[in-house]
Amino acid sequence: MDGRGILRGLAVTFKHFIASYVDDFRRLGKRYFTQEGVLYRSSPQVEGVFTIQYPEERRPVPENFRFIPFLVYDEGPNGEKEIRCTACGICAKVCPPQCIWIVRAHDPETGKPLKKPAEFYIDVDICMNCGFCAEFCPFDAIIMDHDYELATYDRFATNVFDINRLLKPASYYQQIRPTQYALKAAEREKKAAAKAARRGKAA
Amino acid sequence: MVRREGKDRLEGLQVPGYDIPDEVKGHVVITTLNRLYNWGRRNSIWPMMFGLACCAIEMIATAASRFDLARFGMEVMRPSPRQADVMIVSGTVTKRMMPLIVRLYNQMPLPKYVIAMGACASGGGPFKEGYNVVSGVDKYIPVDVYIPGCPPTPEALLYGLMKLQQKIEKQSLKEVYLQKDEYIPEPVLGPDIMDPRDFPMIREYTMKKLQEMQAQVGESTAEQS
Repeated sequence: MDGRGILRGLAVTFKHFIASYVDDFRRLGKRYFTQEGVLYRSSPQVEGVFTIQYPEERRPVPENFRFIPFLVYDEGPNGEKEIRCTACGICAKVCPPQCIWIVRAHDPETGKPLKKPAEFYIDVDICMNCGFCAEFCPFDAIIMDHDYELATYDRFATNVFDINRLLKPASYYQQIRPTQYALKAAEREKKAAAKAARRGKAA
Repeated sequence: MVRREGKDRLEGLQVPGYDIPDEVKGHVVITTLNRLYNWGRRNSIWPMMFGLACCAIEMIATAASRFDLARFGMEVMRPSPRQADVMIVSGTVTKRMMPLIVRLYNQMPLPKYVIAMGACASGGGPFKEGYNVVSGVDKYIPVDVYIPGCPPTPEALLYGLMKLQQKIEKQSLKEVYLQKDEYIPEPVLGPDIMDPRDFPMIREYTMKKLQEMQAQVGESTAEQS
């Protein structure tokens, strides 16, 4: 019979329509504006279609979600910022749209170059969120952020992020990407142990 | 229902801009015409149905049921610039597209707003130094809100639209409705719109060319009649 496929398709849509209302009534008051409601609606068990009521509730972003990159610093014992970046410039080299600009710091007395950046700029209006910088960084110092609320009225004043805007603590990194953080920390420890063993052998 | 907090917060009708005595609070509703009018205006911004590149896909996703622009009163995507309030420039603006965008902008009625969505529209993005891409739509038309990201997620676009709502809320009706509708000269395609460094010169050239063309058209119509 002609048109059976159309009817079958409409039935699927109608089922979704009914299921949304049934689900709304069954979970009255718990479906919207609660964290568990959002989690339930992101799960595969959910029935029907639904809306994410964005400013009030947020969809949990996946761990590997990437937006504008940020620089990681470790908190020292006295609360000082130990920037992980060594100003090697690998990120600036691999960046496809060339949006990273680094100026290496110099020792104020001897004038010798130091292993840290004096200035670090990312032009957000050029960055294409590809994540190459984070992938190629050997020190795990530049990481893709999860914060997407960056809209501004004036791009010339705000959209070139300088080092102060980019620096975020390692605890934040651990919070947004726990799996990657643990993996990289284990890797670094292993490397350090191997180095220590080699030194021990040589001595 | 959870109220918007922090940077998402809209001031609403509660802050008319002058002090309300304590004994009147809670009994009488006082607001300014500005606030009331802007409250209506910001809750019915109609965007123009107009997509350029990959950002347009995110714009479509934002308008669809999962994120639902209708919650902000923006569900009516107008295919005509005459009926639109906001132009969402969503995607890479090529030099071939720029005259058309300027023309669409000129055709929009006042008050009009422009959102540059994504890295390409706001600053050229990965194609900043390309031979065929305009590095930032703000070189030609005034932009109200810039949304970084490549592409911005639907939430990021919603956040940008909320920023626009915040902006509209604080505007004064006098300034908005008494402003003159500025005609922006359409860039003419040809040897111009090529080198981004020559943009001021091109603007001048375009203006001259346009006047010449208009004069020519005027002459030909005069001859016909």
